[in-house]
Order: sequence, then C-alpha cells, then structure tokens
Amino acid sequence: MITVRLPSALRSGPSDTLTVSERVSSIAELVDILELRIPGLRVQLDDSVFNFAVNDELLLHHVAEHSLNDGDIVEIVPTISGG
Amino acid sequence: MAVRERVERLVAELPREAQFPTHGATLFIDLERCEVRRAYTPLGVIRAFLAGRGANMFYLYRLLDETLGPLHPDVPLIFGSGVLTGIVPSAARGNATSWSPESGVIMDCNAGDYFPSFMKMNGIDHLVLYGRAATWTMLRVKEGRVDFLDAGRYAGLDNIDLRDRVAADFGGMWTRDLAMANITRAGENQVLTSAIMAGPKACYARGGPGAKMGSLHLKAIVIQGQTHDFDTAQPYKAYNRAIAQQLLDTSVVKHALRTMGTPFLYKPSRLLGAMGTRNNQQTTWTDRLDADHITPYRPGMAGCFRCPVNCRPLNRLNDNPMDKYGAGDGPEYVTLGKFGPNLGIDRVEAVIRLNNICNDLGLDTASTGSAVAWAMELYQRGIITRHDTAGVDLAWGDADQIERLLFMMSGREGFGNVLADSTRAVERGHYPPEALRYRMAVKGLMQSDPHDARILKAFALGLAVATRGMDHLRNRVTLEINARINDDAAFKERLYGGPVSAAPTSYVDKERAVRVCENLYAVGDSVGMCRFTTKLFNSPSLPGLEQFSTQIAKVTGLAFDEGNLDRVGLNIMGLERMINARLGVGREHDTLPDRWFEEPITVGAYKGEHIDRAEFGAMLSRFYRISSLTDDGVPIDTWRRELEAIIAGAGGA
Repeated sequence: MITVRLPSALRSGPSDTLTVSERVSSIAELVDILELRIPGLRVQLDDSVFNFAVNDELLLHHVAEHSLNDGDIVEIVPTISGG
Repeated sequence: MAVRERVERLVAELPREAQFPTHGATLFIDLERCEVRRAYTPLGVIRAFLAGRGANMFYLYRLLDETLGPLHPDVPLIFGSGVLTGIVPSAARGNATSWSPESGVIMDCNAGDYFPSFMKMNGIDHLVLYGRAATWTMLRVKEGRVDFLDAGRYAGLDNIDLRDRVAADFGGMWTRDLAMANITRAGENQVLTSAIMAGPKACYARGGPGAKMGSLHLKAIVIQGQTHDFDTAQPYKAYNRAIAQQLLDTSVVKHALRTMGTPFLYKPSRLLGAMGTRNNQQTTWTDRLDADHITPYRPGMAGCFRCPVNCRPLNRLNDNPMDKYGAGDGPEYVTLGKFGPNLGIDRVEAVIRLNNICNDLGLDTASTGSAVAWAMELYQRGIITRHDTAGVDLAWGDADQIERLLFMMSGREGFGNVLADSTRAVERGHYPPEALRYRMAVKGLMQSDPHDARILKAFALGLAVATRGMDHLRNRVTLEINARINDDAAFKERLYGGPVSAAPTSYVDKERAVRVCENLYAVGDSVGMCRFTTKLFNSPSLPGLEQFSTQIAKVTGLAFDEGNLDRVGLNIMGLERMINARLGVGREHDTLPDRWFEEPITVGAYKGEHIDRAEFGAMLSRFYRISSLTDDGVPIDTWRRELEAIIAGAGGA
C-alpha cells in the first residue's frame, strides 16, 4: 500500500490523503492509478510547480522511473522560490 | 575630485529634457547645501543599461571616489525606478545603490511596495543623494518638487511609529497618495544590517543601506501625489491586461504565491535536506515551520502598487492592541529560514514575532539573522565567551534572548554593538580571525536566503558570482529544484539556450543557466519587475524578455529586441564588476564559505554532497568565458572599453 498526500490545489475531496492498494512499482505507475481516481490529475501534474517527495525526500530528477515500495509515503509538494 | 565637482561635470553632459515618453528626471540632491539639480539619463545609457538598477550603476560609476569610505558623504546614495515601474502590472520595484558599508563591495538593493512607483509618478527616475545634512532632514517630493524639511521630531522613531506620525502630519494615506522611504534608529546608529524601509515590511535591505542613508542625516523621503495614467508612446493598457492575465494564469501564482506567499518554499528545502540550520552546521529542521502552520496566523494577503498577485502574507498573533508586535506583514521565506532553523527556533509564533520586530526596527532579516547565527556558533565553539558577549548567553533557540539582542543591535548597546557590525566583526576587532571560518558570507555579504547550496551546484555558482555578494536574488537558477523541468532535457535546453545537466548535483553546463538568469534578472531590476513574477525565477511561464521588449516599445517608443535586452543584462553585470574591481574585488572573491567546500551534508538523499574545489574552479572559469570576463572576473578589454565609452560619452545618444 502506498500513501499519497496531496496539496490543497490538487485535492478532489476533503481529505489530503489517498491510499493506493494496487501494486505499483514506480511513480509513473502511481500517476496512472491516481489518474483513474482523479481524472485530469496527470495534466495538472505536468507542471513545474509540483514536485514529488518519497518518504520525506524530495525528488529532483528521474522522477517517473523512481521505484516505490510497499509502505512508501508519497507527497506532492508545490515548490516556489522566495526572497 | 570632490563629489560636487563630479556632479557638476556629469550634469553638464546630461540632457536637460526627457528623451522619450515616461522618461523621468534624475535629481541630484546636495543634502548639505539643500540644492537640487535636474537632468535626464542619456539615451545611450538607457540603451546600454536601461533605468533602475542599470542606470544607478552608471551614476555610481561616474560619481564614486573609491579612495573614500562607504559612509563618507561624498559617496552618493542613489535611488532608481525601472523603465516600467508603476506602469506595468507587478513592475513596482526600484533599486537603491551605493558602496556597501556592510560588504565593502557594491550596495544594490531592491524594494517594492509604493515608493518606487510614486517616484515614477512624480516624474522622477533617479534620486542621487550626497553631502551630509547639518541636522536630521526629511525630503518631501510633491509634483516633482523637492523640499528640505527638518526631521528632528522624527529622529529616534522606528518604522511603525514613524509611519503613523508622518501619515498624521502630512494628512495623507499610504497606498493612496503617500509613499515613503525611511530609516529607523538602526539606520541612525549606522547598524550595518539596517535597511531603508519602503513600507510596513518592504525594504531596501541588503548591504546596509539604512546605515548609508543615516550617514547623510537623511531620515526619510516622503512622496505625495495622486496615482495617474501615463502618457506613453503607444497605447499600452491592452498589453498590460495580457501581462496581468499571464501572471494570474501561471500555476505557481495560483497555487502558491497568492495563497500563502513565499513561506511555501520552506517545505521543499527541508525535504531536500538543504535548509540552513544553526548557521549551516546542519541542513534539516522541523516540519512545524511548514507554511501550513502559519495559516492560522494569516488573516489575509497584501501587495505592491498595481500588482494583481498580492503575495505578501499578513500576520496576526493576537488581538491585543497593546502588543506592538502582535500583528504585521510577513514573514517571507527568507525570514522564516533565517529566524527559524538558522537560529534553532522551532515555534512559528516566535518567528512571526521576531519578523514583526525586525520590520519595526528596520533590520535586514537576512544579514541580521546570519549575524546572530554566526555569533551563536562562535559561542557554541568557545571562540567567544560570556566575557565577549557582556554576559549574554547565546543559546540556540532562545527567542526571548534573540528579541532582546535585536533591540540591542538597533541601539548598538552592549553585545548588540558587535552584532551591528555584521560581517565586519573580525575586521573591527570583536572576534578573533578564526571566526571567519564560520562566517556564511561571500564578498562580505551574509547569505541572503536559508537554502544550503552544497547540493544544487547551479545555486552555489550563483551565490559565488553575484556582484553584490552572497545573494540568491541576482541569478538563482531556481528551476533546478523542479523535477518536471530537469526531466525534460529539450525543454530545459530551450529555457537556457543550450544543454544544462539534469542532475542537480552536477557541475556540467550550470554556468550557462546562471548566465541566462543573471542577465534576465538584471533586466527585470532595470524595468522594475518583481523577481517573483519574472520568468525563470518561479516559473518558465511568467513574463520575460519578450514581454519587457514589447511593453518598453509601447510605453517609451524605444526598440529593444530580446537579444538587445539580454545584452543589457550582461552590460549591467559587466559594469557592476568594473565598479567592484575599483573596490578591490577579483576572482578570489567569487567563492563560497569554507564550510561548503570542507563539510559534506550529513542527512537525506544527498548525504555526502559538498562543493569540490577543483570542479568549482573549472565551473567558475567556464562562467567567466561565456560571460566575456577575464580570468580575474572583469570584462575583457574590448568590452570594457565599449562600456567605458558609453559611460564617458554620456551626452551622446
């Protein structure tokens, strides 16, 4: 099972957390599953503002093929710059 | 040659009339003699450097006497508004420029709110201030005219009280018909981290501009006037609407800037393991400072002049009218980092309160937080002791003690006098030389932001080569932190005009991305555009050279294509390096704190990352080559002569 935390901008319901019990081995496969639950999410994620973090580690590249394991917590993190 | 002779000679060369629609005057203001001279920036200079930051550098180059010191009254303090300031949505910015008393290199800081736009609406592009007034003085600008007023009754006031008093005395209303740039007690006392305030929070912050303004005995510049439309070369409002829509349609604006503002960045930096903690001894800190935890204290958002984004978070800690610091503006990401993890504070309420105090005391939170963190590490290591701190226990995370220290800094009292000397504490004999090993500064300027750049090599190069010192706002390749862009090599190549490695830790081609960002941001500062809404800083989709070029043409009638503007950005960097060279800056100053070369990151996915000296040196050399700089980091001879000819032949068109 993978736990997915969504930022408010991407939530379709009141909860910020989804659980994915289907077997997924990568972020790309996870996005496929999420797209079924939240139609249009894939397009929304095709946006430089959103990054993925897995188990509290931010991914900066090679995201789609990043491997996932049962029990992982995946968070979608809006990323901006500041001053 | 004294500054009056330099001004005399320069003014004699300058046009007496505006050279294009919306062209504002340059006022040369002698504070000692209460005299004002008026002229205009020549077209040749505008074409090479634009206005704002760019033309400020032209004036500084012509008027600087580097045999003096930064706080000498013959060294001018120059305010400049951009070509599009006050005219285009989100272009509300201006720069203040001089020789930094904090760093010893160029001082060039940028602020928004309303003051730069009100300058422009009064028909003023630049204010060149010099000479020390006999007593505390206030300048009042109204309908383009300057009055010298006695500011004795305002001396000793900090930002909150001063703004209340001035609004009452002048009968105006902030954001409607009144704007002000002012110093606080910290500026009066020449605290080297003191800012020039331009609003409740907005300030010209970096490099000690408050101290510079204080050295001239200038308490404030008040500008009165009604907002109005501009007479431009062509109709421009339709394109303004397109720019505003572009801003509002950009994902980062919709999902982050308009909702929470810049504190959003704390979380990604923390998750990356790049959050400067306890003076960068560590790089990760609590999730209790994530932006979500500020939300209960954020009653709304505010913004700068005619900006549709409104990215400035307001705060309210309590409803106690007797608590001067129970509400305010901010904090921004920099303050959150510098007064949170950097000082070992883990309570968001404490950070917000310290933010409100800094805004009132007129302290640059970046340098102030860094100066306190540096002292705390020295204390932790036993390099300084209670004997040196006059009994103050510099314990990490003690927010109450830090609050007391801020007031002591502002008044240069006790150990506050040491902190007030910021990066110069060793030079002034407060700390032993070994303290420099732990100073998180480049070119004498404390790091602007809390991001630890040992992981992202493009960030590291940017901090090393930034002309005003260790500052991310000059050239940061911020999109290196966005995986969506790193994983699309073709898109990334288009953004930066050539390949740039997808790996954030790689040194390969990162100089190219820094070059592109540095050019674009220099142009942004010179048209007056906010960095947060400039292309490449927060998104690839925000306005950039294309939109600037189009709107400069509509507003001024001057033709710049994107290539011209990119060249202007390069020119500004080149001129800044020529000024820095006169101040003794060379290749050895384009570097990073020792800690980042010698101490690897100890946590997270990038554990072990540090800056490799050989790789860094090679990247710096490549950066110089693609920037037309010599091995010592100054413009190559042919280019330098071109720039000198433009500067010297100011009267030419």
